[in-house]
Amino acid sequence: MAHGAEHVYAVGNEGREVFWNAPYEAILFIFTAVALAIFAYGLYRRWQMWTAIGKPENRNDSVGERIKLLLLNGLLQLKTSKDPYPGILHGLIFFGFFVLIWGAAIDATQFHIGLPFFHGGFYLWFSLTMEIFGLAVLVGVVMALVRRYIEKPDRLGYKGEPDNTPDDAIVLVLIGGIIVTGFIVEALRIHVNYNVDGFTWETWSFAGFLLSKTLAGVGYDTTRTLHKILWWGHAFLALGFVAYIPYSRLVHIITTPANLYMQTLKPTGTLEPIRDFETAESFGVAKLEDFTWKQIFDSDACTRCGRCQDGCPAYLTGKPLSPKKLVQDIKKHWLERAPIVIAAKSAAKKSGQEPEIPEPEKALVGEVIELDELWACTNCMYCMENCPAAIEHVPKIVGMRQYKVLMEADFAPELQLTFRNMENNSNPWGIGAHLRGDWAKELGIKPLAEDPGVEYLFYVGCAGSFDDRGKKVSVAFAKILQAAGVSFGILGTEESCCGDSAMRGGNEYLYQAMAQANIEVMNGYGVKKIICTCPHGYNALKKDYPHFGGTYEVYHHTEILARLISEGKIQLKKPVPGVFTYHDSCFLGRYNNVYDQPRKALTAVPGLRLVEMERKLEKSFCCGAGGARMWMEEHGDRINTARAKQAVDAGAESIAVGCPFCLTMMSDGIKDLSKEDSMVAKDIAEIVWEAMGLEEEQPKEEATAEA
Amino acid sequence: MNLIACVKQVPDTEAQIKVKADGSGIEEAGIKWVMNPYDEFGVEEALRLKEKAGGTVTVVSVGPARAMETIRTALAMGAEKGVHITDLDNADAFATASALAAAIKEIPFDLVFCGQRAIDDDSAQVGSILAELLGVPQVTIVTKLEVADNKIKAVKPIEGAQLLIEASMPCVVTAQKGLNEPRYASLPGIMKAKKKPVDVKKAADYGISADFKANVAKMMPPPSRPPGKIIQGDDPAVKAAELVKLLREEAKVI
Repeated sequence: MAHGAEHVYAVGNEGREVFWNAPYEAILFIFTAVALAIFAYGLYRRWQMWTAIGKPENRNDSVGERIKLLLLNGLLQLKTSKDPYPGILHGLIFFGFFVLIWGAAIDATQFHIGLPFFHGGFYLWFSLTMEIFGLAVLVGVVMALVRRYIEKPDRLGYKGEPDNTPDDAIVLVLIGGIIVTGFIVEALRIHVNYNVDGFTWETWSFAGFLLSKTLAGVGYDTTRTLHKILWWGHAFLALGFVAYIPYSRLVHIITTPANLYMQTLKPTGTLEPIRDFETAESFGVAKLEDFTWKQIFDSDACTRCGRCQDGCPAYLTGKPLSPKKLVQDIKKHWLERAPIVIAAKSAAKKSGQEPEIPEPEKALVGEVIELDELWACTNCMYCMENCPAAIEHVPKIVGMRQYKVLMEADFAPELQLTFRNMENNSNPWGIGAHLRGDWAKELGIKPLAEDPGVEYLFYVGCAGSFDDRGKKVSVAFAKILQAAGVSFGILGTEESCCGDSAMRGGNEYLYQAMAQANIEVMNGYGVKKIICTCPHGYNALKKDYPHFGGTYEVYHHTEILARLISEGKIQLKKPVPGVFTYHDSCFLGRYNNVYDQPRKALTAVPGLRLVEMERKLEKSFCCGAGGARMWMEEHGDRINTARAKQAVDAGAESIAVGCPFCLTMMSDGIKDLSKEDSMVAKDIAEIVWEAMGLEEEQPKEEATAEA
Repeated sequence: MNLIACVKQVPDTEAQIKVKADGSGIEEAGIKWVMNPYDEFGVEEALRLKEKAGGTVTVVSVGPARAMETIRTALAMGAEKGVHITDLDNADAFATASALAAAIKEIPFDLVFCGQRAIDDDSAQVGSILAELLGVPQVTIVTKLEVADNKIKAVKPIEGAQLLIEASMPCVVTAQKGLNEPRYASLPGIMKAKKKPVDVKKAADYGISADFKANVAKMMPPPSRPPGKIIQGDDPAVKAAELVKLLREEAKVI
């Protein structure tokens, strides 16, 4: 019933008989049904596993926005294509396959139902398109093979050891096999049909046509036999591919787009607050069951591409943590646990009793994920920002930290000290809380208690209030505001620590106490606009405080500086000569997309030359102080030293920062490199203040005496 | 094992201490109150012994109403119950120790922990007086402790050496820094602590009068430090000479 055969093909009405020389359509139907059944069973099984473990979580709200994200990053591959080589290879395979599948569907429709337009010009362009995209897939597969088996980048492994599995090879061979057999089948067909009965348009199928030239001398019958065998080979590979999807890494064809659709729509880095301290019996994540189902599903969307690992500051300085390994370890644990849980639940259903789920052999926290991995994370958000599958690593890590801190109180002693300092003096350094406003005394800045009618609250934060280096930044920034005539005040001793280090260090209880203290004071004064010089406070106030009734317009000081400069409120006339590089703070850049303003402020400074480090913007390298790491011992190679080295390599003489944690880390990194005589780290506020040229000359004597 | 930990609430080490104008004590406004750090070592050691050998830990404190927070802190760390003796403000070491002794006598005890001293009044007497009043041995300023066969073996550092002291139980041990690293209370611990029993007593319940043997007559701020001097000038040699002159004639250190 090959409808195509009704046409009389000729130049001007080009076409061909689809399924030529492949007459056993009934058998093909059976095999297709079998393949689909295997696929469906696999998917059903996977579905059971996805839904077996985990707390409920709604990831199906705002459908429109989710579909948009799915189309952008799934269908258009925007995120995947950000990394050129792997982006191109995946794009070639993805778009190639996408087109070929539609081509196969058109072929099948033509064969069974008939397509009135499947001849002539349409046919020729169709053939050419299939040819091009077939070749694209083949090129993609070769690129993938080269990358995985010859080039062997570290990201496709862990600590120099490739983590290839047989499945990786099977999938590539399968894809390559489908294309290769497709082209050979085509070549064989062309070999016996070309120029027979006027079939001269096969040149449009240029790859198959060229390949057919190599078949010169192969006889008609042999060709037909070979064609038949390979046609079936091609069909079996294609059906095998379909059947294999749920049992292999190919499952990402389903899980990754699903994960893109279900990705968090909350502002970057937002952590869901614990709300039931009084009633809950456990806090944080101790076992797989404590994750939400989506947090577990994440791990099934991971393709081990390793982009996360490529910029992870912990991994790159030799710590055991790799975001990829973390997700894969969770996945392995889930693959072991889910069938056990499913079996226990179904047994319980039959007997009508409560399911008795055996305890896991390995504890999730401490064994599946080792504590050194858990505590190495700086919450820098590189992994999440650069994951093409929208996997959410950081909340998992913080969840497990919460368990260690809140439930077991088992964590680094230096972090315990930090928390106690925050409890007793509302700052991680443990300096007397009564000293918080002292830096501002000589500047005549009024606390809100004296003048609540100001436009901006300058939320100084702990570093700006207590750290000697940080205080200088506060002073510089306050002087700029004063010079620009901005109406602002501070909270003074009424200010509390923002709590970021407690939150990210797993101490949600302490964090909420800090947040509530601040919110109570700020709301009491009717604060609407806030400026922070520390991106950690900035991020917490902007994104996490709204959970507790603290909703403000929050600005980072570099945003204000860029604005004051562009509005001409401050003039930068004094040259600050030197080659500077700007180090993106994670909590400013990746967390809040503030990339341009700090650079705008810097490039406005006369005499200053800005050079960029290789790792910048959304691929910036953390200073090592986020995620409460500021307060913890670092073993082995230091992240800040590595970052300072990157600045040196960029040819910078000075490092400009917009974060007091980064300032400390970069200053220390410069010292580690013994470059403190020639290199310096400065906050942008200090640079801008210097460029304003308003600082009165320091008495020379005093400067000398201090030295 | 029945373990007792005596705790005192003191101002945080970083708190700003202002002496009241009338010299009767310190200004309490704005002060963050914490458990005396040396007492914390005692609580931690008691908890570790309990976790190893079983038993209960009772915290006993003499202090005003706010001292309840400190008792709750110890309960959050893992102690079972508390006794709070309230109306002995400004008590001297003897009255404090008498109240503690009276409370402890009502509880069976094997080992009593005190801090080696409290960081507010620095008297370092309560532990010793308490041992006398209880009629049991005492080992003070302990940095290491082992308990076996109803005896303790305690290490006490002294100038240039360490002493290993054995004593029979029951006894009183005063804790020094180095004995252990006090734990951070878990959140369930904090939540449970709110419901643990604390006996609130008055000094009179133990027949202790507010007629103290020793009283602080007056509290004075420490003498203020004279401001530092910066030697000005361009010539380092002249400045150095000036420095030597000042160190010799004014500071009288060389």
